[in-house]
Amino acid sequence: MKYLFALLAIVAPIGAAMANQVALDSEVFVERSVEQADGNVTVTMEEPTRVVPGDSLVFVLSYENTGAEPAENFVVTNPIPEAVAFVEAIDAGAVYSIDGGENFAALTELRVTGEDGVDRAAQPVDVTHIRWTLTAPIAAGGSGQLRFRGVVR
Amino acid sequence: MKNLTKYFVSVSGVTLAALAASPVSAAGTDAGSNILNTVTVEYQVGGNDQDDVVASDTFVVDRAINVIVAEVGNATTSVSPGAQNAVTTFDVTNETNGYVDIALAVSQIVGGTAAHGGTDTFDVNNVEIYVDDGNGSFDGTESQVTFLDEMDNGETRRIFIVADVPTGLSTGDVADVELTGTAREGNGGTTGGAVGAAITASTGGDTAGVDTVFADADGVFDGIAADDDDYTILAAALTALKGSTVLSVNYPIAGATEFYNIPGATVEYCIAVTNAAGGADATSVQISDPLPANTTFVASSIMIGGTATIDDNGTPGNPADDTLTSCDNSGGSAGGSFGSNTVSANLGTVTAGTTEIVTFRAVID
Repeated sequence: MKYLFALLAIVAPIGAAMANQVALDSEVFVERSVEQADGNVTVTMEEPTRVVPGDSLVFVLSYENTGAEPAENFVVTNPIPEAVAFVEAIDAGAVYSIDGGENFAALTELRVTGEDGVDRAAQPVDVTHIRWTLTAPIAAGGSGQLRFRGVVR
Repeated sequence: MKNLTKYFVSVSGVTLAALAASPVSAAGTDAGSNILNTVTVEYQVGGNDQDDVVASDTFVVDRAINVIVAEVGNATTSVSPGAQNAVTTFDVTNETNGYVDIALAVSQIVGGTAAHGGTDTFDVNNVEIYVDDGNGSFDGTESQVTFLDEMDNGETRRIFIVADVPTGLSTGDVADVELTGTAREGNGGTTGGAVGAAITASTGGDTAGVDTVFADADGVFDGIAADDDDYTILAAALTALKGSTVLSVNYPIAGATEFYNIPGATVEYCIAVTNAAGGADATSVQISDPLPANTTFVASSIMIGGTATIDDNGTPGNPADDTLTSCDNSGGSAGGSFGSNTVSANLGTVTAGTTEIVTFRAVID
């Protein structure tokens, strides 16, 4: 954990030092379902101030092209935090890695070799990275969000 | 700088895979862990690669208190009346995502349905709590405890309730015991000292730091869990019948074809000991029978073992009206002793639902 922090401390300033024309924000919310007296279920999104294992999380990646030119070949990559089990992407078009970001493909195309040596289809819990590649350029001033769900291990 | 960047890229996959295994314990991510999410964007402008953009978000995992107490074996402990150190077994598990102490207490119900059926009818005495020393069974070398010190995230320890059983109880009597575990503050895994302070759940005003919530599996959110086990009495119920028959051997009237209890005649006594079905085996069963007045013991005539024919008078299971019809000691062996005008014999074990016999002979004076 400490190691990861140290690396990020090194990596982050590189981006910050350069002139960037894309603004990016990562937020996490806790998704809670509360059954009301009338039987309806209300789903709320809360700041993650009180989070315990088993809680559902929604990761929201917000981007905005703050430059004057369109941003092309826009690729968003998010490693799944080690204490989070990936559940599903909310926004379509994602590809996944189950090998630490080496290879990306649709989840249905990925296979995992279990401890017993038997090959099986990859499950969401196997996902180590999620990636979206936007096919259309983001026009100057354009923005959007990409979201996925996870559960605290 | 460039070297470092390259280094990060080349090791990132391996490093993340290794990290992924470490902080997640059985009961979930440890309280106080930071969950850091980092997202990276690569893009081009005008066909030219731009520097990656990185953003991250972090939050702290809170503490969810959950303790599990579970009786082991799902069966009653069969005990004899008067048994010492009778054991019931429990597993206590810390399902909290962090260290806690777990205070232990035993209570006994009065009446009511016991853990494995039946009605609680008595209490056991001298109740003590021990923690397993590693082999999973109680063997007298364990440490007596009042609490479990520094239970790790997901850790289970085996607990033995050890108690003494009163005497004077009958088969089917039941004593229910309940083990209660209460989560108390841990000390980050540093053992020693007294049990930790009571745990208070955070209320209102969520903080960005570590909050505490009760997440009991039993649905009562108090950090307390309990389970029941019970002791059931399995006693032996012995009954003895005695009969006698006149033998032709050494009959004082030569050539007689009918034999009566006349002086000089030899009488064979039979003592049949029956252990009722459904109870415990009776061990070390000793017979002592004073020789009747006006008879003389026939030396070395004690035979142990054989079969008895018992008339149950039409009421099987009620030994009170049974009578001894005959005995056959041909399968027995010589044994026992005679002293102080008393016949003594050791029948050994009489298993539940069987009858053992002792025969001996005496001459009518």
